[in-house]
Amino acid sequence: MDHENFESIREMIDYETQLREKIKDQVTELDKKTRIVVGMLNRIHSTPPNDVPVLMENVQPVLFGCQAVTAVLAELIPPNEFWRWKDMWSNSLRTAVFAAALVEYLLYRRLIVIDRVSEILGIKQDWRDRISLPPEDYLHGLINLVNELSRLAVNAVTMGNFDEPIKISLFVKDLYAGFSMLNLKNDTLRRRFDSLKYDMKKIEEVVYDVSLRRLTSASVPAQ
Amino acid sequence: MSLSSSLSKDSILQAFDHFREELDDYNDRRERLIKASRDVTNISKKTIFLMFRIIGESDSHDPSVAKVAAQRGREKLREVQDMYAKMRSELEGDRYWRHQRQVSPGLQEYIEALSFAHFLEYGSLITFRQVQDTLSEPTNGKPHFPLSVSDYLLGVSDLMGELMRHAISGISKRGGRTKASEICAFVRNCKADFESFTPFIHDLRKKQSVTTQSLTKIEDATYAIVVRGSEYDLPQEMLDDIVAQSISTLTDGTFTDEQRQSKRHRSDSE
Repeated sequence: MDHENFESIREMIDYETQLREKIKDQVTELDKKTRIVVGMLNRIHSTPPNDVPVLMENVQPVLFGCQAVTAVLAELIPPNEFWRWKDMWSNSLRTAVFAAALVEYLLYRRLIVIDRVSEILGIKQDWRDRISLPPEDYLHGLINLVNELSRLAVNAVTMGNFDEPIKISLFVKDLYAGFSMLNLKNDTLRRRFDSLKYDMKKIEEVVYDVSLRRLTSASVPAQ
Repeated sequence: MSLSSSLSKDSILQAFDHFREELDDYNDRRERLIKASRDVTNISKKTIFLMFRIIGESDSHDPSVAKVAAQRGREKLREVQDMYAKMRSELEGDRYWRHQRQVSPGLQEYIEALSFAHFLEYGSLITFRQVQDTLSEPTNGKPHFPLSVSDYLLGVSDLMGELMRHAISGISKRGGRTKASEICAFVRNCKADFESFTPFIHDLRKKQSVTTQSLTKIEDATYAIVVRGSEYDLPQEMLDDIVAQSISTLTDGTFTDEQRQSKRHRSDSE
């Protein structure tokens, strides 16, 4: 290898290594924030329905804290290299999507749209080639949401909130119908989608239990 | 409740309709690139065979023969360059990095073939810049896509295996021993240079161990000749007989599993 060639390769590698380190620092930062959010969100399983909005309002500012990280990432990532580095933060980003979707659902009982997630995380449209929220990360986040809601269906009943499983069941069915429209390849998204049926089954069992025992408010007029 | 639910269902389905389009678009492009990469691999392997055939037809290490082989090889590789030019729109902007995993295998084979042609003509390692230049618009020099250091290093690492075949299969020709020791020194230097990059390039360590095996084979072949030559003080023709014997054992019998595996597809396309 001639000297010049060797040196230029070494420079390129040095540059990439340094960039990787810087990105890694940001990902650690993002992880810290999402971990706090997830910790707070864990309380939904033991919070009475009336106190949930307050809990959600406390979660939101921490979630907005992710904006600082995405802004730095947008600075760090060279143009057009989004896909080169995104694997480094995909997992953290999916957790953030999950948190945003859970907050939206518990506050408004609806599915958060992808653009709204980007907004919450401070990901600007102009940064597309450096940092963006690709559909697959959003979809992974939604699957996390279903996993969590199946737990909530069980725990809500324990707390005496018998209507929650019904609401969750309706929402998750709609979401499942959405996922069924995708032509999924044999990748992780596909495998995780396949596992959704177990969550659905769990939720259905809870719905079955509370309906059969006439515990829900919906079943009262029927008596 | 039922009204709001059906409304939200509609908006969900609409959103997912859009995701389906995006995912399909991505998957279709992915398939196209995998196919293209396979074609590139195929042409590159044939090019290497072509160059070996041309060299093999001559019974001496005449530089002009090597030059002809290199030129014919480069001509054939233009097919690959044209393919990359056509793929340009598929790899535009941030798409290249999204699909790098589909592009890399073919690209590395191409670099292997190209670097062999380069070596035959100039006796040196093709530089990163030179590889990138072959993958650029000839008119304005704009790259079709950014070449990665990793593809370059992994591609030229594969060259070492070809050089081993070149050194050993040509060792009995006139000038073959000098050629073999030249190649031996060249491979040794490259291996040392690559070594410092191994911590940063995924898979390079694996390639390095294959290179070590190749290097050992060249070393053993040149060693055998020196030892036997000195011991018996034999005339040239008899030395060639002995060498021919060692070639047959080295090229037929001593492929390791790893090398056999990496060479298997090669014999498939023969």
